[in-house]
Amino acid sequence: MIKELALIGIVGVISYGGSKSAFALDIPISASVTGSCVISVETNGTYGQPYAYKLSTTPADGGELPITRVDVTLADAYKVAFTTPDSFSSSPTLNDVVTFTGDTEVSAVSDATNMADYETDKVEVDNTDTYELTATGSTWFKHSSTATNGGDRAFPSGNYTAYVTAECIAI
Amino acid sequence: MYRYLIFLLLIGSANAHQMSPTYPQWSQSYLDGLSVTRVRVFNKRKDVKYYEIGVFDKDMKPIPFVSQYDLRGINYNTYAMFDVYVNNDYIKDAVYVCSTSMLTDVKSSGVASKICSKFKDL
Repeated sequence: MIKELALIGIVGVISYGGSKSAFALDIPISASVTGSCVISVETNGTYGQPYAYKLSTTPADGGELPITRVDVTLADAYKVAFTTPDSFSSSPTLNDVVTFTGDTEVSAVSDATNMADYETDKVEVDNTDTYELTATGSTWFKHSSTATNGGDRAFPSGNYTAYVTAECIAI
Repeated sequence: MYRYLIFLLLIGSANAHQMSPTYPQWSQSYLDGLSVTRVRVFNKRKDVKYYEIGVFDKDMKPIPFVSQYDLRGINYNTYAMFDVYVNNDYIKDAVYVCSTSMLTDVKSSGVASKICSKFKDL
């Protein structure tokens, strides 16, 4: 009888210990922070034609500025470069040399404190503006583009398209 | 403040191109002599149906690579995983893997997007 009680006790302790250890399993909570860049096109933009020889995305010229937004989830991980057009991607046969000018500016930020210097710190080379994205969050950029036909000659009638290139590059 | 956040949510990612991870890593593939990495491209641009993938060195010069698709159709609001294979001889030179939007439906002026992830030791 005593042996049986002892055996039951031992079994009970083992069972309790076993079940206790089962309840004490570590449950891992894992995370993989991979980071990403998102380029959103808020507005594609359109050219207005204030003069027969000029196409412009400036609202005062009847155009619409392309607006892009860039979201990054890691600080100091990306730079973003915008290149305004230096040629048409499609157009009728042109009758003179077309001169392109363009610019990119920060139009809004989601973090006014940490993104305040984005515009002043940008690097401009030709028609490419490069920004270091030093803070997480969203930045809105507006792009202007103007095409002027040589000799103030009127642009031939037809459809014209040009691209702004937005590049988000990990650093 | 809440109105601003709701505004952000409403306009957020209306027409977006996303790529992750920021810093992918190479692993040995099941094919001898090749390393492989995987990147994820999300298409939320209605005006884009195809994305091109590429591998580049530090000067953005192309590096030979193999992928099931280097130009791949990605439907609106869906993502695609790209497995990119590079010969081990080129691994040291491979610095960027990039996805580029292929614009097909542009009325007047459009935005072409390109996102590059970087291979680096963390």
